[in-house]
Amino acid sequence: MGKYFDELMQDPRFREGLNACMNCGACTAVCPAAEYYNYDPRQIVDDVQAKDDASIEALLKSDTIWYCGECMSCRPRCPRGNTPAYVVQALRKLSQKYGFFTASEKGRQQYALGKILGDNMRELGYCVHPTRVVPSMHPEQGPVWAWVHEHDKELFARFTDNYMKPGPGPARAIDPESLEEFRRIFDVSGGTEFLENIERHSMKKAEELGMTREEYLEYVYTYNSGNHTL
Amino acid sequence: MKYRYANWQEYSKEIADDHYYYARSCIRQNFFPGSEKAFLDILRNDLGMDIVEDPRHTTCTGIGYHSDVVPLDTTMAIVARQFSLMTECGYENYVASCITSFGIYSEVLDMWHHFPELEEKARENLFKATGREFRKPKILVHTSDLMFHVRNKIAEKSVRRLVNVTTGEPLKVVDHIGCHYAKVFPKKGIGGAEFPYVLAGMVEAWGGQSVDYPERRHCCGFGFRNYLVQANRGYSVANSQKKLESMAPYNPDFIVANCPGCAMFLDRWQFTLNAMTGSHYAIPVLTYEEMAGLVLGIDPWDLGLQMHQVPVEPLLDKLGVEYDPSAKYLGKNGKFIGRPLTPADYTSARL
Amino acid sequence: MTQEKILVIGGGIAGLQAAAALRDEGFEPLIIEKESSTGGHVSRWDRLFPTQKQAREVIEELTAATAGIESVTDREIVSLTPEADRVTATTTTGERFTGRAAVVATGFDLFDARLKEEYGYGLYENVITSAELEAMFRAGRVTMKNGDTPKRVAILHCVGSRDEKVGQNHCSKVCCITGIKQAIELTEAIPGVQVMNFYMDLRAFGNGYEELYRRSQIENGVTYIRGRISEAGETHEKRIQLKVEDTLVGRPLRLTVDLLVLLVGMRAPQCCGSFGLPTQANGFFAPRDPYTGNVQSTVPGIYLAGTATGPKTIGETVNEAVAVARRIRMDLGK
Repeated sequence: MGKYFDELMQDPRFREGLNACMNCGACTAVCPAAEYYNYDPRQIVDDVQAKDDASIEALLKSDTIWYCGECMSCRPRCPRGNTPAYVVQALRKLSQKYGFFTASEKGRQQYALGKILGDNMRELGYCVHPTRVVPSMHPEQGPVWAWVHEHDKELFARFTDNYMKPGPGPARAIDPESLEEFRRIFDVSGGTEFLENIERHSMKKAEELGMTREEYLEYVYTYNSGNHTL
Repeated sequence: MKYRYANWQEYSKEIADDHYYYARSCIRQNFFPGSEKAFLDILRNDLGMDIVEDPRHTTCTGIGYHSDVVPLDTTMAIVARQFSLMTECGYENYVASCITSFGIYSEVLDMWHHFPELEEKARENLFKATGREFRKPKILVHTSDLMFHVRNKIAEKSVRRLVNVTTGEPLKVVDHIGCHYAKVFPKKGIGGAEFPYVLAGMVEAWGGQSVDYPERRHCCGFGFRNYLVQANRGYSVANSQKKLESMAPYNPDFIVANCPGCAMFLDRWQFTLNAMTGSHYAIPVLTYEEMAGLVLGIDPWDLGLQMHQVPVEPLLDKLGVEYDPSAKYLGKNGKFIGRPLTPADYTSARL
Repeated sequence: MTQEKILVIGGGIAGLQAAAALRDEGFEPLIIEKESSTGGHVSRWDRLFPTQKQAREVIEELTAATAGIESVTDREIVSLTPEADRVTATTTTGERFTGRAAVVATGFDLFDARLKEEYGYGLYENVITSAELEAMFRAGRVTMKNGDTPKRVAILHCVGSRDEKVGQNHCSKVCCITGIKQAIELTEAIPGVQVMNFYMDLRAFGNGYEELYRRSQIENGVTYIRGRISEAGETHEKRIQLKVEDTLVGRPLRLTVDLLVLLVGMRAPQCCGSFGLPTQANGFFAPRDPYTGNVQSTVPGIYLAGTATGPKTIGETVNEAVAVARRIRMDLGK
């Protein structure tokens, strides 16, 4: 067995996700990513079950493992009980651990995700928050959202007395003590280190590309080479 | 017509009648705060159920986890904290207002079952970080499960049915279930992964007609990183388009969505697709709480329907809902807060 | 020669042939059939692979060979009780039959296609099973539910075979060649029809099978796409939308057909009790030894023939039925 395969086997999702693939394509057939991108989850599973270090490393450095939307549509269909999306999750974890993710366009986007979601979660206790879905970054949200965003306090007041304030209700401010517990859990369980590792590797890549932090964030968030679809 | 799939009862799970710890959804609070309010109001005030809301709970990290920026151990420890809050409040039934969260909780509990060392580690991490301990929930359900469970009680209290008041015909309703509701564990979803009955059951109980369509099981296109990163949004919109195209021939009166994100995408992308391709679906999208609220006679603007991109007025007219059109743009104290731009003006202002 | 009674449980082709062979060996066979007539699955089929012989002819030949042999119908056996020198079979209503030995020729069940929920069988009117297609062939007319003639037909292999999700890990063996045969017959029945076979591995293992596969491509224009259909949905026009990967190209396909035929596999019978006999992982009865003891169970006095021990062709089934009679004669002596 290869080193990477052994390491992947440490991940419970990989053990659950990979049994034995007979290449029937039931996963790819319903995969929203396969429909949109030049992407085939079946081939990922087939690749990793060969346990070849070189080809797994190539995967870890590729765009391929970053197309999956983790919708799990593959999971109920596989006649061999595999879950390609779980295999992808394990590959993504390893790719980030070794810093391989910065070698691919789609992988580099982890910086933007780590930054946006990491900040939202650790600062507010939410993955998403009304104040952070800024219309300029989200033109697709349309005019009603722009209106909601602009008048958030007045609108939310119809549904809660505690908008961005302590107490129960939607989009409340989470109390400082709970937020502190949340952050300490991130510290203790490896979440903080995981985000810092993404940051470290990303800054190295930014330096290589001669970009500032802000330029790099903008770049990974918006850049699309157009090479991902057929 | 009765829902054709007769076998849904083969997938029915245990749903406790009462006493739940309620966990909000990041996206639902953002985009559909009226839905969460309606859920609590209906279940507590109309049906007299005991549902505790605890302001201390946080995100489950689900979106971060499925964007692969939160490691499994962290997600498990955060989930452990939510369970600890539930335990502290003296509850053993957990109801999550989010499909992603429901999927996360189900997966974590399943992994703890199969890999007890992971549960040990989550307990250790939680204790080390917060001094907390926890019991696992006895019953875990999604909010729609609970609403399905009480659908007949809601029907009894309803002031109207999902019927076109002009024609007397039942409204045609297409549903979107949300992938993580049952694709992760088909047995944990009412009706299973292929023909989920959770929303169709409500639609039928409240007088509407559930309509099957070819892309019913297809993902809405959120795909976590595929929406969250601007460069990837083509994936998101393309998949929603697939669904909208597939349901359009049935002329549905509205879409009912199970999942906070899906409801938002199916609503917003109709605007985006119009701007991109000129398509004009104009299918209102409701959450199941909003659907229940309308049936029970809650004012549409108290449900938050003014926060939808696709206008809901044509649907309200079909249902015979009386509403004050001008109240749509009022803040809490009746103050006019301006109107959103029209899609055309918004698009041209941005170009 | 002593006239010893042998119980033959099941009146399909295995039971019929076994009864005929047992009489030749000097026994007095009694056929016990659960349905109202003998003939089993084959009697419901139209033509047979690989030569397209009429199934009716097989049944006629075996029925003729069993003329004069006692048989009872509408009796479903639920238990077999072996004793030192006899076996007693008991029906659902408590009726008992006793013989010197018993041949279990209980065959198989067709896989219930409703269990593969993602294909919408039972919900979508133009999703049918291979058995229903045979019935259409017998009736002489292949149509969609609304009576229209299909122009585009998909045949899906491995429905209820090679599938952990429905507890059927085994290969049902006869479906590949059945799909080939049915595809040919569709093109014969409907001029100009387009027929596509969706398969994972085409296991054309038997004598004449590969040739039939080749013929279907060359002479009948049948196409073969390597991929397992993942989902079927009904369109507004009641056609069937399929999602499948063409795995040899590595691209997902979405296509719409008029008729989807599900090649349902063989499943161990769900109806009968297990008779206290050991079964294999696939649910079928376990032979004493899969090399030299195929027609014996592990219980003295109880024998096995045909698909009771797993998927088989008609030829193999009939051979086993002849063999079981010889085996019983060898075990019981003259």
